[in-house]
Amino acid sequence: MREGQFESLRLELLRSGVTPVYVQRTILELEEHYSDLESAALASGVDAEEAARVALATLGNERAIATAILAHPELLTFSARYPRVAQYLQSAATIGALPGLPLLFCIEHRPELTRWVAAVGLATTLMGSVLAMLNWLIVVPF
Amino acid sequence: MAQTNPPFLTGVPELLVLRMLSGREMYGYEIVKAMRLVTAEAIGFGEGVIYPVLHSLEEGGALKARRKSVNGRERVYYAVTTKGKRRLEHLSDEWKRVSTGVNSALNGNGADGDPEHA
Repeated sequence: MREGQFESLRLELLRSGVTPVYVQRTILELEEHYSDLESAALASGVDAEEAARVALATLGNERAIATAILAHPELLTFSARYPRVAQYLQSAATIGALPGLPLLFCIEHRPELTRWVAAVGLATTLMGSVLAMLNWLIVVPF
Repeated sequence: MAQTNPPFLTGVPELLVLRMLSGREMYGYEIVKAMRLVTAEAIGFGEGVIYPVLHSLEEGGALKARRKSVNGRERVYYAVTTKGKRRLEHLSDEWKRVSTGVNSALNGNGADGDPEHA
């Protein structure tokens, strides 16, 4: 069997919204089925080229297979089955996530933020100490 | 006719697949070979279209699938579940009812499309 025999079918199915797990299964099964058909044709005495042609013809063209798969909505992803609902849910999730984004940012950049807080705290302490000392020097009567 | 009959139009591949698998578990190529044998090749189709039928039945809980490595080949075997057996019974009854009606029509009852003569 030629390498990537059903690659175009795989891409078409993924683009059309078929659940990836079923795309993977379908391609695996079609490859195995093709090999069985090819072996059977070879066993009947035809040459390799003719066996490959017979196997492909018996399996059916990729367009027909894709159409048959897409006729089963239960094999499609949620967003492909209900595009409008998925769109609304995605929008709602995005709006809902907006207030949480700064928090997520802080969690993700925790080490940098810790260093920043420590640096600002240290600078504030030093500056406060200098100001307090200056204040004391000015205020204290000699 | 008030009652529509979707299984008559769309349930045949399902019915045949469930029937083939009612005896033992099989993989796609085996199922197609068995179907060709028992139907005396009366039903012609591109064999690749069997997989969406199998996957759809599995998604509906009528079949369960398991991967098995046989002689270095990765096979996906399908077996009928209890739900699948019930579905097979339902589809078989439906098919018998419809085919009885069609046979009756072909045998001359209701000739000229006049239900009064039926």
